[in-house]
Amino acid sequence: MMYDLVIIGGGPGGVAAGIYGARKKIKSALITDSFGGQSLVSADVQNWIGTKSVSGYDLAKMLEEHLRAQEGIDIFDNDLVLEVKKTDGGFTIGTQKGKSYETKTILVLSGSRRKKLGVPGEKELDGKGVFYCSTCDAPIMDGKIVAVVGGGNAGLEAGIDLLPYASKIYILEFSDALKGDPITQEKLKANPKVEIIFNAKTLEILGREFASGLKYEDQKTKEVKELKLEGVFVEIGAIPNADFLAGLVQVNALGEIVVDHKTQATSLPGIWAAGDVSDVLYKQNNISAGDAIKAVLNIEEYLRKQDR
Amino acid sequence: MAVKIYSTPTCVYCRMAKDFFTKNNVAYEDVNVALDTKEREEMFEKSHQMGVPVIDIDGHIIVGFNKDVIEKALNLKHEV
Repeated sequence: MMYDLVIIGGGPGGVAAGIYGARKKIKSALITDSFGGQSLVSADVQNWIGTKSVSGYDLAKMLEEHLRAQEGIDIFDNDLVLEVKKTDGGFTIGTQKGKSYETKTILVLSGSRRKKLGVPGEKELDGKGVFYCSTCDAPIMDGKIVAVVGGGNAGLEAGIDLLPYASKIYILEFSDALKGDPITQEKLKANPKVEIIFNAKTLEILGREFASGLKYEDQKTKEVKELKLEGVFVEIGAIPNADFLAGLVQVNALGEIVVDHKTQATSLPGIWAAGDVSDVLYKQNNISAGDAIKAVLNIEEYLRKQDR
Repeated sequence: MAVKIYSTPTCVYCRMAKDFFTKNNVAYEDVNVALDTKEREEMFEKSHQMGVPVIDIDGHIIVGFNKDVIEKALNLKHEV
């Protein structure tokens, strides 16, 4: 069985592509480990157009339901694409569950995953004071001193999640300015519990059984300082999930798949990419959905030309 | 079979696990460790860590939501 299109990913981009592909009657399949993408763990998404406020979990459910309402698309969830091989007529896709799929074209919407600090103590204290999901684990930190590493949107939102619980919240930003939305910055700055530390390079997370401190370098003064705390929430950005395409398509220095922004085509004919895995300048749910749709429309043209 | 989940109200993986139990007709006890400090301590002791969810299936401790691992733990118990 040969698909015309296999979509890899179940975030807003993957679902948008799946819906458009099904409505265009492209013989397609979608493979994903889960639905909703990275917003899944967001407490409150307020910028998904058409929806004033929705939790990441409910957004994921909405997306999955909308996709499952389509006819003519095979959905393979709870699985992960591990490799893609070029064949004569297209590609073979291999998954974690040992499944194999043949397809003429591929649309990659595999998103990105959380970057880790890579400092001593991080791995040892994972779940023991080092956390990567603030909506999950912020309530455990009630009355405790915590730090959020990262001053982008994800970091600031972790700060917001911690406000009702932690007794003190340090936000450690590597550069000399916060990068997250001003509206969130203002909310944090107005709270006396919050202390923002700029130019901070995290060196080590301290603690034996559980986290007890964090060592950082003030990059301006080169002074090494120590914070006493019990929780560290790591929110320092993301790494594109493009490993399974290694050597097949062109990627940039950040590991993002380089695309033609007019069509979303990659350097290898037959493979398109969109969303956070691509070299799109802005990583946003709405943009991922739009760019994914753009790709499907271009794929449809490509398939039509091939059939001729 | 005794299934207990240590959760927080805002934790999406906890909700996923609970939805999974409901869908599969698995009765479970849910404790909110954001409020209940005694249960929280018990969770730390059982799992040697602080992240949620922690799921206890007849003494088999699972940290996080992994459908395959939970399925396996439940199935294994069915066979016994």
